[in-house]
Amino acid sequence: MKKKVPARQSPKKATPNHPGKVKIRQLPTGVRGLDEIVGGGLPEFSFNIIAGAPGCGKTTLAHQIMFANATPQKSALYFTVLGEPALKMLRYQQQYSFFDPAKLNSSVRFINLSDLVLEKDLGAVLEEIIREVKASKPSLVVVDSFRTVVRKALSGSGGEMELQGFVQRLALFLSSWQATTFLIGEYTDGELRDNPVFTVCDGLFWLTQNTERNSVVRKLQIMKLRGQDSVPGLHTVRITGDGLVGFSRTQGLTAQKDRPLKRRRLSTGIPELDQMMGGGILEGDSMLIAGPSGTGKSALATHFLAEGVRHGEPGIAAIFEERPKGYTARANSFGLDLHTPQKKGMLEMLYLRPLDLSVDEALQEILDAVNRIDAKRLVIDSLVGFEMALAPGFRQDFRESLYRMIAALTGVGVTILTTVEIEDSFTSFEFSHYTISFLTDDIVRLRYVEIDGQLRKIMVVVKMRGGNHSKDIREYVITDQGVVVIGPRQTDYVRLTSGLPERIGQSPPEPAPEPKARTRRIAV
Amino acid sequence: MSDPSTKILIALVRQLLAIDAALGNPDGADDSRAFRACDRLRSPLSKLIGIGGFRSLLSRALALAGEDVPWLRGLHINADGSVEGLETEVDPREFNKGELALMTEFVGLLVAFIGPALTLQFLLDICPTIPDTNL
Repeated sequence: MKKKVPARQSPKKATPNHPGKVKIRQLPTGVRGLDEIVGGGLPEFSFNIIAGAPGCGKTTLAHQIMFANATPQKSALYFTVLGEPALKMLRYQQQYSFFDPAKLNSSVRFINLSDLVLEKDLGAVLEEIIREVKASKPSLVVVDSFRTVVRKALSGSGGEMELQGFVQRLALFLSSWQATTFLIGEYTDGELRDNPVFTVCDGLFWLTQNTERNSVVRKLQIMKLRGQDSVPGLHTVRITGDGLVGFSRTQGLTAQKDRPLKRRRLSTGIPELDQMMGGGILEGDSMLIAGPSGTGKSALATHFLAEGVRHGEPGIAAIFEERPKGYTARANSFGLDLHTPQKKGMLEMLYLRPLDLSVDEALQEILDAVNRIDAKRLVIDSLVGFEMALAPGFRQDFRESLYRMIAALTGVGVTILTTVEIEDSFTSFEFSHYTISFLTDDIVRLRYVEIDGQLRKIMVVVKMRGGNHSKDIREYVITDQGVVVIGPRQTDYVRLTSGLPERIGQSPPEPAPEPKARTRRIAV
Repeated sequence: MSDPSTKILIALVRQLLAIDAALGNPDGADDSRAFRACDRLRSPLSKLIGIGGFRSLLSRALALAGEDVPWLRGLHINADGSVEGLETEVDPREFNKGELALMTEFVGLLVAFIGPALTLQFLLDICPTIPDTNL
């Protein structure tokens, strides 16, 4: 008899709302930026490991998660095992803002298992954990440090099998009792492979701390998280007075606004430059002002911000080379008042902490400021200063990081003006050392030229992604009115972009834009 | 203890001791020379900081208190955290003075390590009838 072959069914399209599918509730991590990294929150009833070398912030992370979630109804049990003495842990952890003493004993309970681990076997430890969990029915359980339990197991006669059995039973019991669990342990990268503990766990949070030159950089990697999409890769972490702060490497890229089909043009505050750019910068564009030192890049940036304020568009200046006071004072010397808009909340100066910064932290600070004042314009002054402010490890990925940063910021609708210092060469016409022109929409190049015994300044719009622009090379001066672009001149020069132009025209010479030194006659 | 909150601390410990004295021994036995308050703190605090942690703290408190109350120097702390070694006859008033000194130093150490707020909270959990004082 021929067997009836069941008809092949096309697999049902999986949708988040498919009936019958279990919905995994997500718990907030209590760590800024971490919810985004883990894909929305921590899966409820999951069995997790927080691993890393000492000093990475494992205990602090566990405390943050615990204090964020523990309530009298959904309490937390924190088992301490031969790690940091509980008294010391309480002493230090209470320094963080998330530590809420009112939650102790009502929502959060600490239980010390050190004596048990020292005196008895793993079975007794498991029994004690089970007894305490059954007694208080916690929603969250932390075992710190689990590594000491592992060492105990491996030193015993049962070895790895005993450990595997212990972890299996612990995971099974805690999950059945509907507890979200975190085991904390000091592990090194080499211990990742074939580790029975890592096999059993649902989530593996790996913290690292690297010293590069004089800077220390902390990173977090979600090596495993069952049931949900976490953001892969290494994410920067900083430990602050609020505990850990995470910076997702895809930060800002997920919340992109659609660009309107027809975009406004924003004035730079210099009418002639606006004309050269076909009417100004397109809203939401990123513009690069490149030029050597002293050509007025910051002056242009200041005009851009001040013009925004005049039009009711709040702005942010992320500055790296100068302190806000000096920056404001210099703008004042051009007749641009940046002080009043700062007082009125229309302008924020962000002087970002130099030397051990990450691009993601800078981005977070800028995004926070954007949200605070609903900023429409942003100045990054300058890329060279920004790069210098980064920890050495981040400088290697500067281009990639800039790409993410500019994409994230223009994605929220901010128009960016970035300055970059370049050395003038007399054989080429560079736009930047970083080969970043691909990530800017518009480029304006400033440079020095030698004309008639003076070092004069010229500017040219090199690129405007959003439309046509003037191809003229225009001379400009910086006066007490700021940047003043001089009208097209009659002078007939070639090779202006080389810095050493040659006059080929026959028209009568024009007066110098700024007075030349007089020749003094010496009486004989 | 030169901390400005010492007076409050002593008052708090006095209340703790008074409450324990009033409770007496549940077995009805005469143990007027027992460190009841100490014993009362031992179990819940050992749960938090381990017996080892409790013993270390109490040993330090005993050493500090022994500077003011000489007969305390003859005491020692057992492995389980209980106090032992009171072999010579001590006047009840002297005993109370010693117990107060020991407990004040012990609570003072807790305050030094984990701060007044957490210390008070732990004491209130152990002995809810003591007044909620600002240490």
